[in-house]
Amino acid sequence: MDFEVTYTEEQQRFRRDVRAWLEANVPASIQRAPVSAEDNYQRYLELRALGRKLGAKGWLYATAPAKYGGGGLDVDHAIILEEEVDRFDLSLPPYYDSGGRLGSASILVWGTEEQRQTFLPAIYKGEVRTWQLLTEPGAGSDLAGVRMTTAVRDGGDYVINGQKIFVGSDNGTDRIWMIVNTDPKGKRHENLSWFMIDATLPGITVRPMELMGTGGEGGTDSGVKQTVFFDDVRVPAFALVGGENKGWKVATTHLELEHGGGGRIGRNRVWDRLLRYCQETKRDGVPLSQQGDVRDSLADIYIKAEVQRLFGVRNFWLTYARKPKSYEGPQLSYYRKTTGLWMTGAILEAVGPAALTTDPTWGSAGGFLETQQRNGIVSVHPGGTTDIQRVQMARRIGIGRPTREAAGSVHAGEA
Amino acid sequence: MDLALTESQEMLRTAARTFMEREAPVDVVVSLQKAESSLEPGLWRKAAQLGWLGILIPTEYGGSGDRLSDAAVLYEELGRGPLPGPFFSSGVLGALTVLEGASEEQRRRLLPGIASGERVLTVAITEPNASWGPAGITLTPQGKNGGYTLNGTKLFVSDATSATDLVVAVRTGEGTSDVSLLHVDARARGVTARRLPGFLSWQCEVSFDNVEVPRVALLGDANRGWAALTRALERALPLLCAYIVGACQAVYEKSVLYTQTRVQFGVPIGRFQRVQDHVVRLVNHLDSARWTTWEALWKLDTGRPAAASVHMAKAVASEAYLEACNAAHEVHAGMGVLIEYGLAAHTQMSRTLFHFLGDPRWHKRRMADALEW
Repeated sequence: MDFEVTYTEEQQRFRRDVRAWLEANVPASIQRAPVSAEDNYQRYLELRALGRKLGAKGWLYATAPAKYGGGGLDVDHAIILEEEVDRFDLSLPPYYDSGGRLGSASILVWGTEEQRQTFLPAIYKGEVRTWQLLTEPGAGSDLAGVRMTTAVRDGGDYVINGQKIFVGSDNGTDRIWMIVNTDPKGKRHENLSWFMIDATLPGITVRPMELMGTGGEGGTDSGVKQTVFFDDVRVPAFALVGGENKGWKVATTHLELEHGGGGRIGRNRVWDRLLRYCQETKRDGVPLSQQGDVRDSLADIYIKAEVQRLFGVRNFWLTYARKPKSYEGPQLSYYRKTTGLWMTGAILEAVGPAALTTDPTWGSAGGFLETQQRNGIVSVHPGGTTDIQRVQMARRIGIGRPTREAAGSVHAGEA
Repeated sequence: MDLALTESQEMLRTAARTFMEREAPVDVVVSLQKAESSLEPGLWRKAAQLGWLGILIPTEYGGSGDRLSDAAVLYEELGRGPLPGPFFSSGVLGALTVLEGASEEQRRRLLPGIASGERVLTVAITEPNASWGPAGITLTPQGKNGGYTLNGTKLFVSDATSATDLVVAVRTGEGTSDVSLLHVDARARGVTARRLPGFLSWQCEVSFDNVEVPRVALLGDANRGWAALTRALERALPLLCAYIVGACQAVYEKSVLYTQTRVQFGVPIGRFQRVQDHVVRLVNHLDSARWTTWEALWKLDTGRPAAASVHMAKAVASEAYLEACNAAHEVHAGMGVLIEYGLAAHTQMSRTLFHFLGDPRWHKRRMADALEW
C-alpha cells in the first residue's frame, strides 16, 4: 500500500507553478472573517472572481473533462491543486457550489451530449454558481417522497410549482439543480425528474431562513439556508436531465457523492486551530495542552479526526482507482457527522466557555471554535441524517433488505 | 497512492486463509482454548515449514526478511481464528527484541531457532503493577559469580507456558530507563510459568526463584534494554494490530451472516434497524482499526517517522476489538455466548489484547508525547 501520492518531476513543477499563481492571484483579504452582511457579499464576489480565474486555467474543476471546459487533469494534479488551495484555507470551488459539483457529475453520467455541452462549461469555468434543491417541507429524509414541487409538461416547456426548503447558501445563485415530481399519481421512485434551470427565471422567490449555523462560502458546506418558492416557473424541456420520471436513477449519482462516496484528502482545519489555541492559552499558569485532562481530550479528538481523514483517503482512492464500493460512502458521511457532533462537546469541555464566544478579546481561535459549536450540530442533517446514512450502510452491507443494494455510479459511461 | 495489496500479498493472503480453513477452523480454535499451552505442535510445525515464524527475521539469520506490511497480511489471517499460539510473541515481538537488543553473536545464536520454530521466545515486560512503561520494571537481578540471580515475578507474559526462551526486562540502574534485557532459559531451574486463570488468553505468571543466569545472558549492553524494547515495539505493535484487524473482520462477517440467517418475527433480524445499528458500529470500529494500522505499517516500511501512528493504531485497534465483540454479542444474543460457536474466543482475546502491551489510554498519551503537543 501507498498512502501518499508520489509526484514526478513534471508534477512537482506543476505544484510550483500552482503555488506561484495562487500567491499572485489570491487576495490576502479573501481570508478575512466578514464583519457585516455587505462585507460578506463583497467577499463572495472576490471568491467568485477567483473562481473564474481558476476556471479559465482549468483548475476549478480539475478532473472534469476538458472537452466540456474542465481541466482534464489526472487525479495526481487535482490533489496538488487541492493541497495548494488548502494552504490558503480554501477549497475547490472556493465558494459554495454544491449544485455545480453534484449536478455536473450527474449530467456527465445521465445527460445527453447536447446537455453536457450546454450546461457543463459554465460550471467548470466558474461562470455560474449552482444550488441543489432537494428537500421539501414534506420530504426530508424521505427524498423519494418529493411531491410538493411539481413540473407539468406544456408544449415545449415544463411549468414548475412548489417549494423547497433548507437549500442553497448566502449571496444568491445563478442556477438551480433540482428534483421535482412529474407524476403525482405515479409509483414511488418512478415519478421524479431532474432539472437544471436558470435561477433568474420569473416566478422564483428566495427567502432566507434563520438557522443556528453560520458561514456559507467556505467550500462544501453552508450554514446559511433558504426557502425557494416556484410559482408557474416556465423552463424549456431541454432542462430535463435523464428523462421524465427517471429522476431516482439520476439521484443515485448525486447522492453517492453527497454521502461521501467521492472521498476527500485534506487536513482538518478545526483540529489545527484547536491545538494551537490549547498550546497558546494558559489556565492556572499552565498551557491547556499540558494539562492531563485536556491532553486526554485532545488525543481523543485528534484520533477521531485522523480516522475521518483516513476514511476520506480510502474513499478518494476507491473512487479514482475505480474500485468497487459498497458501504464506504455513507460510512464516511456517518462518521463525519457523528464526530462533528461529538466534537462540540469534547471541544467545549477541553476549551471551556471561550469556545462559545466570537468576542475578539475573550473568544478562542478567531471565533472558529464557536463556528464549530454551531455547525457540528447543523451538519448532522444536510445530505441525509446520521440515521439515513446508517440505513444506507445496512442495505449495502446486505442486511437491510432482501437483496443487497449497490453503490451509486459516479463515473461517466458506467450508468 | 495505492491502497490495494500487492500481487504477492494477495497470494500470501490466499495461502494463509486456505491454511486457516483447513488447519484451524472454529472447532479447532475452540478446542484449544482450555489448554495450558497455546502451542499446538502440529500447527506450529506446519507454520514453521511455511516460513511464517521467520517472516520478519533477516535472511542471514534464517528468516525471509519480509516487510512489515507483508507480515501484516499473514497476521490478519491468523487473527481471524483467532489462532492461539506464540506466533506474535515469538515470531514478532521476540524476534524483533533480539534483533534490536542483542549482540551479533546472540542474534546468530537465537534467531535461526526462532525462525525454524525450535525456539519459542517470549518477552517478559510487565509485573504485578501492570505498567507498560519503564518505571514499572522493578525486578532487579543480584550479581553473583560474574552472573546474575533472579528472584521475583513477571506478570501478563504472553504464551510463557509454551516458551523455551524468555527475554526478561530487568532493572539495572536508578534512572527510569535503566533497564536491561536478560535471556533466560524458560526451562532453567527455578523458572515457573503458569497460565493465569479467567477471562484472558494465555497471559501468564512467570516466577523466578533463585534463577541463576550467566553473564553472557545479558542481551546487548546494560541499561540499553528499554531503548531496544521501544524500537522493537514500534515495529511489533502494528502486527498485533493487524491480528486484531483480521479478528474484527471475522467477527464482522460472523455477525453479518447471522443477521441474514437468523429469523425472528418472521424476517431475518438484519431487517431491524436496531440490529443494523450494531453491525454499523462494528464495521466502523473494524475500518478504524484497519486504516490506522495500515497507515502505520506503510510509514514504517517506507522509513517515515511512525511513533505517533503506531501508538494511535494500538489505541484504536484495542478499543475496536473490544467494541466489535460487544456489538457482535448484541447481534447474537444467546448464540454468541455458546462456547462452541466461536465468538467467545474472540471476546476473551479482545479483552486480553486490550491491555496487552499498553491499553488505549496509555497509547493515546504516548501518541500525544510523540506529536510533541
